[in-house]
Amino acid sequence: MDRSQQNTHAKLMTRDIHRLRPSPTEANCFSLGCISWVSRVETVGTIVSRDMAEKFLKFSIDDGTGCVTCIMWLNQLTSPYFSRFDSSTILLHSRTARRQARDIRIGAVARVRGRVGLYRGGMQITATNVVIERDPNAEILHWLECVRLSRNCYRIQS
Amino acid sequence: MANSQIESGAPITLQELYPSSPFFMEARSLRVTGLLKGYSVETAIGVIEDGEKSLKINTQHLRDVSFRVGSVYQFIGELHIEPNNEPILQARTGRNVDGIDINLYRKTIELLRRFLEIEEDNRNMVE
Repeated sequence: MDRSQQNTHAKLMTRDIHRLRPSPTEANCFSLGCISWVSRVETVGTIVSRDMAEKFLKFSIDDGTGCVTCIMWLNQLTSPYFSRFDSSTILLHSRTARRQARDIRIGAVARVRGRVGLYRGGMQITATNVVIERDPNAEILHWLECVRLSRNCYRIQS
Repeated sequence: MANSQIESGAPITLQELYPSSPFFMEARSLRVTGLLKGYSVETAIGVIEDGEKSLKINTQHLRDVSFRVGSVYQFIGELHIEPNNEPILQARTGRNVDGIDINLYRKTIELLRRFLEIEEDNRNMVE
């Protein structure tokens, strides 16, 4: 298995995200076509749902090949996970997440980066970074890049 | 593995929307792109055009989208076929895509479709 993709954000179409299979030996590690391991992904799509909860924002994106659920945590100020960081870093994380959450609107096109995981039988992305794309050609270029990478990179056995 | 419950809108061109097309189905989720030729504020219905083909879009569920005739828009929604066999898209999302390279878009959705089909065939052969 090629592990070169494990610590990068693999550019994947939603259909391929739903086809990732968990590693039998390593947590938070997924195989793509039995060749590459991935744990982080990047995808681009239109936001088609948005559901704000107290601690997180749940939204879905549709890239034309499928829809995937994304979670953006907004509990940086109260979560014990962040207590190991200094207060200015926590504040920065919190502000960044809330600013990104405000920009997540139905109909906008978003580039989402984050960790993939299995939740209640389906794949979802825990988003660490969400950028709203202003370029009307962004999705087209993402599709082309995904096709190229899928052919030339992710499915080649090292 | 279970997919998200929201149906993905298949990207198509308006030329592919004719009665015998596999996309011409009641409740089919589609993504369409075209130049806004007309828009009625009273009915919230717009008409988009791509070449010689046009499609009615019902925008009553859309918020925060302003419509300008002559601009290019992309919509995701479900197709409804009226009794006279006229299709109308019930839009869930809409956005202005002025500046889109429409020729590249057409070529890319063809390429993407072919790629997905080949991948599907390879997968079926392996399984």
